[in-house]
Amino acid sequence: MLLYSILFPIISILAILWFFYRYLKQKQSLATVILWTVLWLFVILFSIFPLASERFARLFGITRGLDFIIIVVFLVLFYIIFRLYNRIDILQDEINKIVKEVAINNEITLDDEEDE
Amino acid sequence: MSFEISKEDKQATYVILPAYNEATRIQPVIEEIAQMGYNMIIVNDGSSDNTLEVIKQSKRKYPDQIHIFSLIINRGVGVATQTGFDAVFMFNPKYVVSMDSDGQHSAKDLDDVITPLVKGEAQAVIGVRPLKDMPFTRNFANAVMNLLTRIFYKVNVSDSQTGFRAITADALKKIDINARGYLISSEFIREVNDNNIPFAEVPIQTIYTPETQAKGTNVVEAFKILLQMIKHQF
Repeated sequence: MLLYSILFPIISILAILWFFYRYLKQKQSLATVILWTVLWLFVILFSIFPLASERFARLFGITRGLDFIIIVVFLVLFYIIFRLYNRIDILQDEINKIVKEVAINNEITLDDEEDE
Repeated sequence: MSFEISKEDKQATYVILPAYNEATRIQPVIEEIAQMGYNMIIVNDGSSDNTLEVIKQSKRKYPDQIHIFSLIINRGVGVATQTGFDAVFMFNPKYVVSMDSDGQHSAKDLDDVITPLVKGEAQAVIGVRPLKDMPFTRNFANAVMNLLTRIFYKVNVSDSQTGFRAITADALKKIDINARGYLISSEFIREVNDNNIPFAEVPIQTIYTPETQAKGTNVVEAFKILLQMIKHQF
């Protein structure tokens, strides 16, 4: 048995447990946990049975199993970047709201200086 | 223009000046506007130089005409202008103008820019810069931005990237500005158009110096604005 076929399933199981732990702590939605669990289960499957990737690859008209895995990894990475970009965008808007509120509620007067 | 703005109308006009690291340039701009009799809302956009101190010095000279608000961190010209647009309603304005604080715009154009509002000919005005005075790269970026504003926001204007704009307080209440950076120029025009606010274009002077040329809509900014315009379609 090759090293990756032991290592990847262990990492995957830890990752799944971590996602469930975050779900229990209400830090992750159920949909996200399910999505990531499915993904990690595929990692386990392809680590133990590498030839299984070829069957999936053929479903999508791709000949090599490794190509299929690389394409899937790219898609997942793009999705993560998109989610992060969206999250940062929302955070930027929230920061702007706070910064604006603070400024509007604290008009700078010359009395402020005299008090100092 | 022969029309003269009354003292009352000037007192009911608030000029919003977003300022980011303008310590060396802002003072003459503020003082010229104050001498003309207009009120100001100056928004320090988290400057790292002593812009805020310079603004305070001017406030000591014109305490009743200058109102200062300061963003604790730099958030961009869009957010600073939005802050001014929100804060201005604390002072019960009739007309609101926003212009650059780096000396690129001439305070002498203020009267001309608000004239269509005072006369009731329009409820929003954009100050249009003469293309012949613009450096080539700026001119090219501006032409591209005008085209993009036409494609994405369906408004045809001569200068979509002008920072000199005026609007009545009633019209300002109707528009919703969310842009963080230089997109605010196109967004202002889109909002005015979408809300069927009658608007006019008024020619303005532009004073280009190496410092003012370093700011504003260059090719990189134009690209960022394009991305945001695409995003706004969804």
